[in-house]
Amino acid sequence: MNVSPSSREVPPGEMDKMLDFRTVHEATAGPRWQALFAHHWPAYEQWYLSEGERERPGYLACYNALRRHMPELLDTYRALCDLAGGGDLAARFLSLYQPPPYITGCSQAVLASPDSTVLARNYDYPPELCEGTILYTHWNARRVIAMTDCLWGVLDGMNDAGLAVSLAFGGRKSVGQGFGAPIILRYLLEFCDSVPEAAEVLARIPTHMAYNITVADSAGRYVTAMIGPDRRASIRRVPVATNHQKKIEWYAHALASETLIRERQLSILVDDEATTEERLIAAFASPPLFRHDYRRGLGTVYTAVYRPAAGRAQFHWPGLTLDLGFDHFPEERITVRYGVRGLHSG
Amino acid sequence: MSQITTIADVRRHFLNNKEPIYFISATNFNLLGIGDWVGNFRHINYIDCFEGQQRNVFVPKEKFPRDFESIEDINNYLLEHKEVIDFIQSRAQGENAGVAAFLMFDEHTEEVCQQLGLQVAFPPAALRSRMDNKIETVRIGNKAGVPSVPNVLAKVGSYQELCEVSRELGDDLVVQTAFGDSGHTTFFISSEDDYYKHAEEIEAEAEVKIMKRINCRGSAIEACATRCGTVVGPLMTELVGFKTLTPYKGGWCGNEMFAGAFDQSIRDKAREYTFQFGEALREEGYRGYFELDFLIDMDNGEVYLGELNPRVTGASSLTNVAAFAHSDIPLFLFHLLEFSDVDFDLDINEINERWAHPESVDSWSQLVIKHTDESVDLLTQAPRTGVWKMAADGSIGYHHYNYHPHAAEDESEGFFLRISGAGDFRYEGADLGILITRGRLMDDDFQLNARAKAWIDGIRGQYAGQSLQDPVVEEVAVSHAVGGGNFKIL
Repeated sequence: MNVSPSSREVPPGEMDKMLDFRTVHEATAGPRWQALFAHHWPAYEQWYLSEGERERPGYLACYNALRRHMPELLDTYRALCDLAGGGDLAARFLSLYQPPPYITGCSQAVLASPDSTVLARNYDYPPELCEGTILYTHWNARRVIAMTDCLWGVLDGMNDAGLAVSLAFGGRKSVGQGFGAPIILRYLLEFCDSVPEAAEVLARIPTHMAYNITVADSAGRYVTAMIGPDRRASIRRVPVATNHQKKIEWYAHALASETLIRERQLSILVDDEATTEERLIAAFASPPLFRHDYRRGLGTVYTAVYRPAAGRAQFHWPGLTLDLGFDHFPEERITVRYGVRGLHSG
Repeated sequence: MSQITTIADVRRHFLNNKEPIYFISATNFNLLGIGDWVGNFRHINYIDCFEGQQRNVFVPKEKFPRDFESIEDINNYLLEHKEVIDFIQSRAQGENAGVAAFLMFDEHTEEVCQQLGLQVAFPPAALRSRMDNKIETVRIGNKAGVPSVPNVLAKVGSYQELCEVSRELGDDLVVQTAFGDSGHTTFFISSEDDYYKHAEEIEAEAEVKIMKRINCRGSAIEACATRCGTVVGPLMTELVGFKTLTPYKGGWCGNEMFAGAFDQSIRDKAREYTFQFGEALREEGYRGYFELDFLIDMDNGEVYLGELNPRVTGASSLTNVAAFAHSDIPLFLFHLLEFSDVDFDLDINEINERWAHPESVDSWSQLVIKHTDESVDLLTQAPRTGVWKMAADGSIGYHHYNYHPHAAEDESEGFFLRISGAGDFRYEGADLGILITRGRLMDDDFQLNARAKAWIDGIRGQYAGQSLQDPVVEEVAVSHAVGGGNFKIL
């Protein structure tokens, strides 16, 4: 197993990395999703086979796991498998059941007030490993806007029932039987309306690694679920999550990702009655929350802000904001440059 | 359908069959040609021996090189493969996906079949596994009046113990473990040194079969236990341990079927024993296809029970193509009949009488050709499946495509089923292919005849490989072994 984000050192001089973000609007999965699959599949295939094909469960096991834990998702799954060519390996990959281990960085926080709920987060990860697709779908009688991972999984997103979700790595090395978290987040957005419903799902669906999942709804409810393959989910009314679960277990990762500092910063902010939405969002744009550590794959790739009650999603980069909503979702492409001297967009 | 009472009824029943029937295995070798008798019959295989030319063979397109541990492992891989599941479901009638037959399967296979709506046309894996136990075989045989080579069944912890328990058998011993493939778990022991070569495997067993070593010939006979009685096929000789065919000492490498295989009294005895054994199997709850090995003592003509394979086997390819099968029905159809819900009442004695007649048995042979060198290389060229023809000088050439051994019309022709193809690794023990031909391949002393040697040389000569030292080949090998990178890379 290799879950170290720093395994590939990038030599100085080749530090600048570029990532294209694209917004894709397709209510029913069709040619656009198919094109995304075709574009990303060669890289995903290589990753999926990285430990050998035999390490990944067979199609029937993947199908059975989905049928058992997320049966409502099967129709969508089948439709996407067909668009992906109907093959065996792609179908196994798309189930996200027992994928190779991987990790993310990330900070996330909820600011809930009687009139508005905001879920904001930074996604800290190697930019070259981020798909950069913001997908608008209307698959299961709910409109969903989400930053995708593994082609239909969700890193963060919201639905038109007023639920927003965000994912952060839980900072523990344990790997077990379960799903990659992005498909669990997809399931939440497709079939849950509220935080209590989401909490029930998070308590029962097995995950293959440790993740911290924060959910917030338009009624101002929120929880953070600390899930893992080796212990019962801890689901508490906590508005903040970074990359550890309760106590630190993986010291090297905790140090490299500065998870404690970021958690403290966020806790202070959300506990302070004087903190406004603007102040919270601004905090994500500067250290310690905004991170420039692209060399080790822990730099901030984007900031996402969801207002589930208003049905609005914003994506921020220094000097640039993308404003999206269920009624306003233009198809755009944004190139972001990640370098030693900072982050530029244009 | 009303009760089936004649062979003509059975033929018509299967020709009109609509329910999907599958043979799921690494290749379709064991049941070559059964599709000619059974409507809606399909093979689901891992290896496409026909390069897409055979309509009733389904092989998933997307496959990964794997080190399978067993045939069960291959079958389970196939049954969990999306293309296979899609194929089976596309042909299912509601919840009923049809009938599945296997060479090997286990409890996991049974679970998957149940989920897919496939009925397994064999007794449960647990029962098969009990029957397959060589020690259990001896006990069933004893009960049925079918003798085994003089033997002792015992736990052995040392050479001393082995000598003590087997004193009455003499110094020249053959020790077998309860389960094992041809040639892998049979140990010839006549000295302490011999013992130590295999001590670990022998001592790991709860009980082993210790036999007196006799001067014997191997033979095989296939049969099918049905509710109307046990149908018995002809006695075949076995090709065993030829170094030009197999790297395994004592390993099975082919069969010969011909009317005069062994003399009449031996054939009669073997058939009688097989019938008795089949009836005993039915009492144990087993039904359907099975194969018995008999060891014929060349010194005194005694017929001894060797082992039981409670399944279709490598000899089934011959049993089901010979004249008797075509004058009635192939033995495997009795098996399908037994596992169908059709009511039947057939006169099994009459069939057995007919099949015992020398005129019913025409002459067929097969060679299973493995890679016998220790070398490993990547095949760049392999002979195609179909009919090959041998010229007067012993050289061979491709004649035409066919899927059926019958297409080889006389002894100058052979039907070759290609197993390892270009792009496969050739390693010691790898199956290269199987040659089925009319006539005999051994002489009366059980040595390969000149025609057999020419065919073996001819087929081997059609293969070419590229050494693993080649950097390109090495890269392929390494990427097969370890996959690509080890981090999510986009």
